[in-house]
Amino acid sequence: MRTGIYFCLEADDNLDIRAVSRYAVGMPGIVDIRWFGIQPRLDAPSIAEMLKRKNVERVVIAGGRPGLYKSAFTRALALAGQDPAEVRLAAFRPLHESFLESMERIKLSIACAAHALPYPLSAVLVESRINPATLIIGGGIAGIQAALEIAEAGQQVYLVERTGTLGGHAAMFGRTFPALECAACILTPKMVAASQHDRIKLLTNSELVQVLGKAGSYRARILKKARYVDEKGCVACGLCSEACPVTVPSAFDAGITTRKAIYLPFQQAVPNSFLVDAANCLYQTNQTCGACARKCPNGCVNLDEKDEVIEIAVGSIVMATGYDVLDVHKIGRYGYGKHPNVLTALEFERLTNDSGPTGGRIVCRTQKFSGSAMPAEWTFNPLGVSPRRIAIIHCVGSRDANHNRYCSQVCCMYSLKFAHLVKEKLPDAVCYEFYIDLRAFGKGYEEFAERIRQEGTFMVRGRSTSVTESGNGLVIRGEDIMSDRLLEFPVDMVLLATGLIPAQGSEELSRILGIACDADGWFTELDHNSNPADMGHKGIYVAGACQTPKDITDTVAQASAVAAGVLRHISSGRSWQVISGIPLKEIEARSKSLQE
Amino acid sequence: VPTRVNPKLIEELESFGSVNVQNCYHCGDCSAICPHSDGIFAFPRKTMRLLQMGLEKRLETLLTPWLCYHCGHCSTECPQQAQPGEIMMSMRRWLIARYDCTGIAGLFYRSATTEWITVALIALLTGAGLLSYGLSHGTIRGPGPFLPDTTVQHVYRGTALAVLLLIMVNSLRMSFFAIKGVGSAPAWQIYVRKLYLLPWHFLSQKRLLQCKKGGEEAAYGTWLIHAGLVFGHAIMFVLVTFFLDQMISDRTGTGPIHILRDLGAVLLLTGITCASYGRLRKKQVRYAYSHHTDLLFLWLLCYIVVTGIFQHALRRSGLAMGANIVYLAHLMGVVPWMLRIPFSKWMHMIYRPLALFLAEVIRETKAAQDRSGKSVRDSGTIAL
Repeated sequence: MRTGIYFCLEADDNLDIRAVSRYAVGMPGIVDIRWFGIQPRLDAPSIAEMLKRKNVERVVIAGGRPGLYKSAFTRALALAGQDPAEVRLAAFRPLHESFLESMERIKLSIACAAHALPYPLSAVLVESRINPATLIIGGGIAGIQAALEIAEAGQQVYLVERTGTLGGHAAMFGRTFPALECAACILTPKMVAASQHDRIKLLTNSELVQVLGKAGSYRARILKKARYVDEKGCVACGLCSEACPVTVPSAFDAGITTRKAIYLPFQQAVPNSFLVDAANCLYQTNQTCGACARKCPNGCVNLDEKDEVIEIAVGSIVMATGYDVLDVHKIGRYGYGKHPNVLTALEFERLTNDSGPTGGRIVCRTQKFSGSAMPAEWTFNPLGVSPRRIAIIHCVGSRDANHNRYCSQVCCMYSLKFAHLVKEKLPDAVCYEFYIDLRAFGKGYEEFAERIRQEGTFMVRGRSTSVTESGNGLVIRGEDIMSDRLLEFPVDMVLLATGLIPAQGSEELSRILGIACDADGWFTELDHNSNPADMGHKGIYVAGACQTPKDITDTVAQASAVAAGVLRHISSGRSWQVISGIPLKEIEARSKSLQE
Repeated sequence: VPTRVNPKLIEELESFGSVNVQNCYHCGDCSAICPHSDGIFAFPRKTMRLLQMGLEKRLETLLTPWLCYHCGHCSTECPQQAQPGEIMMSMRRWLIARYDCTGIAGLFYRSATTEWITVALIALLTGAGLLSYGLSHGTIRGPGPFLPDTTVQHVYRGTALAVLLLIMVNSLRMSFFAIKGVGSAPAWQIYVRKLYLLPWHFLSQKRLLQCKKGGEEAAYGTWLIHAGLVFGHAIMFVLVTFFLDQMISDRTGTGPIHILRDLGAVLLLTGITCASYGRLRKKQVRYAYSHHTDLLFLWLLCYIVVTGIFQHALRRSGLAMGANIVYLAHLMGVVPWMLRIPFSKWMHMIYRPLALFLAEVIRETKAAQDRSGKSVRDSGTIAL
């Protein structure tokens, strides 16, 4: 069939157009290859002329979002007197430029489209020996869920977590939207179950450093960093922590409280054992102190413990590395870091949490005067003043060409949840939501948004521009688009609905594993619609927010889907043939057999 | 009242230099960040909305593009890279074309070729006319001036009169459009009371200082360059209109006229150099996109100033013939430059103070209506 390939790219596609064209020219039946530029405006009649001239019978649109241009080409093909159904799409997400494999995928998706072969059907299964053990990277809710599902099915799981405890971000939350359930009540049992399961081997404070082998038989080298505390012997009495002279911000409390260099991440931490933060411990940095080791009644603290590298053999790998929160210091206009009562979402999450520093009371940061010589410190005093006016700013660093182009997906809902918590805990407080578009897209979400509106939260359409300090309070400025006026009024506290970014180190991981990241750094699934948990038929799967920002519901669903994929992989005894290894002839043959 | 929608408006505006209008998703950042956006004159977001909806009749009545001094802050902060600052700039060009009763401005803005050919044609006609006049009344070899000052001044004053007439008609059209947009006509007392704003804003350009460079310091540099250009122009126009003979005939003098003339030339040259540097470097947001009319404006002005200085230098060094030829070339630039004024970017010098004056009048009128209990908004207004 006489086929024309037309590239309609998006602004963020990094594509070596020459290499792809050179490849496409070699395919049989290709009569025309054209590059329409970035986000082209297409005119169907003139395209029809072009198609007629080359007598094109099938059109392949290649690009980041080829579907956008399908209607123009369908019309053009009809105008040119051909079957308008012969418009095929070769979609490839903008991929990270460091991936050779991504080029192979682009070539393959174009070849599949040119032969009218659905892309997901392009790979073949071959018999192979499969190691039934699974390595899960990341001990957040996604990792825990996948681990439990796989282990319950009777297979061995290694759960590797970078920090000292399971739980991830989900452990920091107080309530979940939209049902306002207690997050800890969902997560904690799962954490405990994971730690006690016979078939789950927990490797906390550990990182993946190297992976060798191929799908079905990987050998993973894991750096097990020294905990300096005997996990089994520690009873979490906390005496060591009392003795420790070093104080640093607590990551679990999003930095609004402090912890010691030897610490328990949080009360329900799994494993429930203290650990030493080597970067801040005086003994580790300059061989002094050692107070904790002297204090420990069980003698569990061994400050001379060494890191070790262990090697494990696995058949499948699950990526569940989650996300980080954008550094709001970068966005100067909201005054984060300058004004003590401008908080990020995670900070507020900890503040409202019943296990947080104020026992769940919402208070403003106040200055603690600790003698005249010391600089006054801003802290949350449980007996402090409650804010009366709270503004929540949506889309901070999301949907913004200057920061992240994508929508962080969870911010609208957690901002609405915050508005509810404010109303619940401070009935007299006024709450403003500054939003651009309210995206309440899940089950029961729209109803939740409606409920928040009815609770008396002021919804202001228009993301505010700046937060400045005046007198004792903050002044927020923005445009209220619905009532067509500029606003400038004082508030006591500003919450920034900060966007999500890929977890730190995920680029390193993608390099170690040879898997693809998109331009924003999120891991790329094989096919967005038909294969959202597989990362390319290599026995590597992706679950949770490390693929793209996701709420807990979707994360858990995807983790279970991953477990299904892993178990199918194990029990079928067949692996996918690696995609880049499929020759063009094979595609043609498969396309023919499908058509017959 | 039926509302007419022009679905091609955005495409039309693209020839006036607009980019990415459709990118705007109305977060309102730009309007809130703009130091000039205020009360009933909130912009640029609202302008973007009207553009996206294609409401050209409503856009015609807008004064807000003239309240913008294009510091580019909105464009830097825009999360969608919709370039609101640049769109306000192109709206000014579009409005200049709309106000212009002859329609020539629109032709110039749409096509660089038309503009260049027209300018060249007028230059050639001027050259031919002056040359034939000069040759029939004297000799190009000198030593006396080849073109008598009185003749030049007549030509100049005639051109200036025609230009002034056009400027007045167009300014009236602008005022008419703007007041039409209000709904009810303001009382004449308000016009009188606010009239001082016209010369005040024309001379001081004070509002430019409200533009904050990078959000912090005021844009003093920009203001100085702009003020230099304004005063350079003003000095030159006054001198040429009233003191042309003294300005050029006295060869060795150092009187006040000569000092003013040299000052004017220096101010203009400095302004041109700074603006050209900015436009060619494209580092500042305001200079990132240049329309062909902006460049012609600068280069023609540059040509006039340079030939002016050059002919003067030649005359002082006694090269009469050279001086005469360069002088002729100088005038060949001046006449098209003058005739281009009512159709060009230059008109912002008039429209901007006028818009500030009208905006103040409208604001006062609305406030008065508000006080007397009438509805603030006319019934046709919808929130955008």
